[in-house]
Amino acid sequence: MEMLIKIAHNYYYMVAILLFIIGMHTMLTHSNMIKKVIAMNIMDTSVFLMFVAIGYTYGGQAPIITAPANEVLYVNPLPGSLMLTGIVVAVSITAYALSLVVKIYRYYGTVDYDEICLIRSQE
Amino acid sequence: MGLTNHFPALILAILLSISFLSPILYRWARKLSAPALIFSLFLALVMAVYLMVQVYQVGEFTYYMGGWPPPWGIELKINLLRVYMLLVVLAISLWIMVYALKDLEHELKTEVMGWYYTLYALVVASMAGMTLTNDLFNLFVLMEICAISACAIISIKEDRACLEASFKYLILSAMGTGCFLLGVAMLYMVTGHMNYDLVNEYLPAAIEQYPNNMFAAAALFIVAFGTKAALFPLHVWLPDAHASAPSPSSAMLSGLVIKIYAFALFLMFYQIFPRSLLESIPLNEIVLWLASMGIMFGSVFAMVQVDLKKMLAYSSIGQIGYVFLGIGLDDTIAMTGGFYHLLVHAIMKSLLFMCAGVIIYSTGIRQIKQLGGIGQVLPITMIAFTIGSASMIGIPGTGGLISKWYLALGALEIGRPIFVVIILASSLLNAVYYMPIIVNAFMQQETFDGEVKPVPRQMLIPLLVGTAAIIFFGVFSRPAIALLENAMQLFF
Repeated sequence: MEMLIKIAHNYYYMVAILLFIIGMHTMLTHSNMIKKVIAMNIMDTSVFLMFVAIGYTYGGQAPIITAPANEVLYVNPLPGSLMLTGIVVAVSITAYALSLVVKIYRYYGTVDYDEICLIRSQE
Repeated sequence: MGLTNHFPALILAILLSISFLSPILYRWARKLSAPALIFSLFLALVMAVYLMVQVYQVGEFTYYMGGWPPPWGIELKINLLRVYMLLVVLAISLWIMVYALKDLEHELKTEVMGWYYTLYALVVASMAGMTLTNDLFNLFVLMEICAISACAIISIKEDRACLEASFKYLILSAMGTGCFLLGVAMLYMVTGHMNYDLVNEYLPAAIEQYPNNMFAAAALFIVAFGTKAALFPLHVWLPDAHASAPSPSSAMLSGLVIKIYAFALFLMFYQIFPRSLLESIPLNEIVLWLASMGIMFGSVFAMVQVDLKKMLAYSSIGQIGYVFLGIGLDDTIAMTGGFYHLLVHAIMKSLLFMCAGVIIYSTGIRQIKQLGGIGQVLPITMIAFTIGSASMIGIPGTGGLISKWYLALGALEIGRPIFVVIILASSLLNAVYYMPIIVNAFMQQETFDGEVKPVPRQMLIPLLVGTAAIIFFGVFSRPAIALLENAMQLFF
């Protein structure tokens, strides 16, 4: 029971983990390459959500210090700014993965991994 | 001296800037681009040697990026083990590049050569960064740079096998980095820091309060680095990727890229995680048994291969197992052996892939069956191949023996003779698939018939250098072993 209450209090972490599992499962089990790339993005985004959630404090304000310190509650700006880098990295990996899919499509005329294996086995 | 203080950052800066300059140089001053890359790798190597001297003089020291001390800034840490890794990375990548200049001419289209230099410099820069960085998020960024550029040096060949292999590699390594970042989130959540040392400082208290978090983080790290370093059940991407790539890329990927993640896992275990965590969950046992299975199955899979480069790739799965065995055994001697094996295997596997590259360059043969009598037409190459294989098996006088010897000693010291059996058995298995190639190459009665292109000297000299290095590290092992034993003092 105690565990459930804890989980209910931290539901946003659970959402992040759930998204992570959905992304990872889709990425590893689906044979469609575009779906794999989308799933990769879902997985990455879930981690970004996790980080941003870590940085949030209830009732916190944007971390722009105007009043003397310790009087106002601020959210932690660090995870958010780190995730900007994370997003850039995820975008570049997506771009690269999609360009590979395009090249593979030119060779085989399909983006389905199972079909590609079939084509290769027939050769 | 102002400038020498900044060497840790300058190594990275030089490699990164040459990676961006290469395509421009290749376009406007084509003759300069290759020497420029070689020169900057050499310059970085000289700086790394200087860092090594400095470490011997003053011991461990740190460098703050941009002058910001932690917890705000990124910290680079320079100690004996990290400098050792840095030297291995830079020296071997310089050696491979010298070979690559000639080999790539026939494997790649001329217009992408400049881009290959870019990607190569990026791989080296990210690996050099991984050896030095002391910040988890910085490690993540470097891992992603390494993943993209490592995939790209495979797919740059643009044939079907390369594209598929690099897509598979990309997806699995994206899974690896995803898991790693989630693991970092778990650590950041309970400690509030990204710096290795600060995380290590706050973890013992956090483990008591949030044990589940830590278990999840440990599991995620093992999956992340296991995937990246091809630890046994997570190795599925490796054979295709390493076998289909251009030969210099194969040498780079098999020789260095997988090992750098093993090193990162080592730092996780022994610098970040407190001892109490390693004692409460059997992390070492997991790594040990996965490594042992990798050693055995890698060799077994290698035996049934018909393609030479694919056989070498499967052999890498077995050999990375030794490095993990050293990490898992949790004993100074075994770890010394593991890290020595990291160096020796980087040399010998790169050498073997280069030999395979020369064979493909000269005769176009990839099948093991067709190699009969090839020793008569490519004598130097096959002698290098023989020495490399001898080192894989662990024949006295080669580097491979020394590392296996120390691993076995370490296993005996902590009273686990079963791992000695595994090391011995896998040496025999290695012999089973390397010996027939050598025997066929030299002893075949009929002469080799087929077209043989003359091999340029620029490709043969690196082979001779590698052969000499293997014998050197087999005969004069003491300096490197002493260095590693010193380095291990920091972690125990």
